[in-house]
Order: sequence, then C-alpha cells, then structure tokens
Amino acid sequence: MRTVLLITAAAMVIVAHAADAPQVPQVPHYALDQSKSTLAFSFVQAGAQNQGRFTRFPVNFDFSPDNLAAGHLEVVVEMGSLDTGDQERDDTLRGADMFAVTKFPQSHFTATQFAKTATGFEAVGKLTLRGVTRDARVPFSFRTATENGMTVGYMNGKTSIKRLDYGVGQGDWKSTEWVGADVGVSFALRLTAH
Amino acid sequence: MAILNTKRRWGAVSQLLHWLIVALIIVQVTLASMADDLPSGMKKLSLLARHKSVGITILMLAILRLLWRWMNPTPALPQTLRSWEQSLARLTHVLLYVLLFAMPLSGWTMSSARGFPVSWFGFFQLPDLVPKNKSLYEALLMTHSTLAWVLGAVVALHVAAALKHHFMLKDDVLRRMLPFTNTTQGPKT
Repeated sequence: MRTVLLITAAAMVIVAHAADAPQVPQVPHYALDQSKSTLAFSFVQAGAQNQGRFTRFPVNFDFSPDNLAAGHLEVVVEMGSLDTGDQERDDTLRGADMFAVTKFPQSHFTATQFAKTATGFEAVGKLTLRGVTRDARVPFSFRTATENGMTVGYMNGKTSIKRLDYGVGQGDWKSTEWVGADVGVSFALRLTAH
Repeated sequence: MAILNTKRRWGAVSQLLHWLIVALIIVQVTLASMADDLPSGMKKLSLLARHKSVGITILMLAILRLLWRWMNPTPALPQTLRSWEQSLARLTHVLLYVLLFAMPLSGWTMSSARGFPVSWFGFFQLPDLVPKNKSLYEALLMTHSTLAWVLGAVVALHVAAALKHHFMLKDDVLRRMLPFTNTTQGPKT
C-alpha cells in the first residue's frame, strides 16, 4: 500500500512537471530592437574590403546563461533590405545570380543548442540562405542590463561563411577571383525582454 | 646608351619611364572604353579593377619620373625654337606631368567617394582619400573623364610637335627619346 502511494506520488510529480515545462517559460524571451541593432557583412571585391548591412532582420531569442538547454534563437533576415551603399551593387546582389531575393526573400538562422565557450557562448543551428540549409555555429557574447526599468540584452558576435556553400554566386560570380569566397558576418543586437 | 640624362639626350631610365607610361596609358584607355560599354557585372568589375591597378602604377611611375627628372639634367630645347614655341613646349610638358598625377588621383578619389576602395592588383589595399559621398563621386567622375579628353588633346599636341621636329625641322628632339638611335652628332645643320 505504502509502495503504491509512493509510486503514485512520484508519478504525479513527474506528470505535473511534464505538464508545467512547456507552459511556463524557464527563460526570458527577447525581441529585436531593430533601430539600435546592426547586422553587417564584409567581402573582398577586387582585392579590397567592402561592407554591407541588412536593415530588417527580426530576432526572437529565448535565452538565459543559467539555462542554456531552454535557449531558442530565430533570426529572419529580409534579404531585400541589404545595403552596401551602392545602388548598382545592391541590385546585382539582389539579382538571380547572387541572393535571388525574389525567389528567396528571407534567410533564416535557427538554433536550439547553446554552449558556453571561453569567451562567451556558441549557438549551434541551421542557416538557410538562398534555399540551401546547412549546419552553422555562431559564437556570441551576451549581457543583460536594466534600462528605464526594462531588461535589455546585448548580443554581439561575428562569424564567417563561405558564400558558394549556399550557391551565392552563379554563372560568372562562381569565380572567387573578383569577389572573395569568404564573407564576414558581424552583429551587434539590442534585444528587449518581453 | 647612358643610364643618366645628358644635356643632349634622355638616358635609359628616362626613356624607359616615358615609353612605359605611354604603353600603360594606351592600356588605360582600352580598359576604360571596354568597361564603359558593359552593363554592371563581373566583366565590368574586373576591367575597372585592372584600370584602377594600372592607374596606381602610372601614379607610382609618375612620382619616380619626377624625382628622376630633378636628379638629372634635362636635355635642352633646340635653339632654333622661337620663344613662344619654347613657352608652348614647356607648358605642354608641365600639363602632361600635371595630368599624369591628376588622372590617377581623380580616379582614386572617385573610387573612394563611390565607396569602392582601390586595391593594387590584389596585393594591397589603398586607403580611401575621401569618405563616401555620392555628389562628390559624380563630380569626380565628370572631372576624371573631362581630364581624359584634355590628356588626349595635350598628347596629340605633344606627338604632333615630336613629329614636326623629326620630319620637318629634322632635328633630334624625337630621336633623343628613342633607344637605338644615334644623336651624338647633335642637330643636323
């Protein structure tokens, strides 16, 4: 009888926890403060470093350094919002041979695995760019602050991707002679807790 | 042929610099006019990248040339020239030197204003001379192409004068800038 009660109690506890877990978020949820955030890229064009950025890239981030297992990151980049400061080059980048924004208007980075590193954290997930999805690891730093009574998170980092892995560069642009294969990506995000 | 200039004749270094720059200017005009006809794309990008690298090369050679000119005697103009002809000759040469600097510098500044940094054949990247500025870029584009036409006109005058000296005046003004010709006799009388 006693054993049965114990087992029943234990089962109830397990069931209660299992039911609770998805309903009560264990970690804060952050959304992007677009006006105070940057997502930039750099590339070698004809031997010289050039820069560009995206101006619309919604981010949703569930994260607490104390509970990495509950972390979830979703970044959607509106590819049409790219800006290299040159209309002609932007049009080329939006075109079919490069980002093909009509066919692939968004790129995604989704991560559900997070790890602590010597300098910060690492998000392990999948990057979808120009319709190609590949595993990607993005190192980042994260700190929170209280501003006007509101919790904000600052997320910074940089990584590098090989554009041809995602088919960015068709036809002539497959050559890396005039536009380099490696594209640097850096971000400085201001996130507000909701 | 002597390495250094003499009062009579251009030395090997001066001749090499002169003819090398002539060849590179022909390359520049060719690259620019090929690029002008193309829509934006890889081909245009590569032609203009080479145009910029060759332009920077000309700038470096022009600096060497000016230094070399200061370190060497300059062969004298023929005595037979009238004073206005001497002035015109000097003015033409000054203009040619000014343009050898103005062309690459306006091109480099124009690239900076456009926001496309210049690289020298991919070996090193040059600093931007001005921050990105669209209206400055447009003004410099106009300047660069106007100067190209001015250079064309001054070169035409320079070539016409050299040919006149050679075929009509029959002096050694052209020959003294040519290798493998004998000018030790001086002007024919």
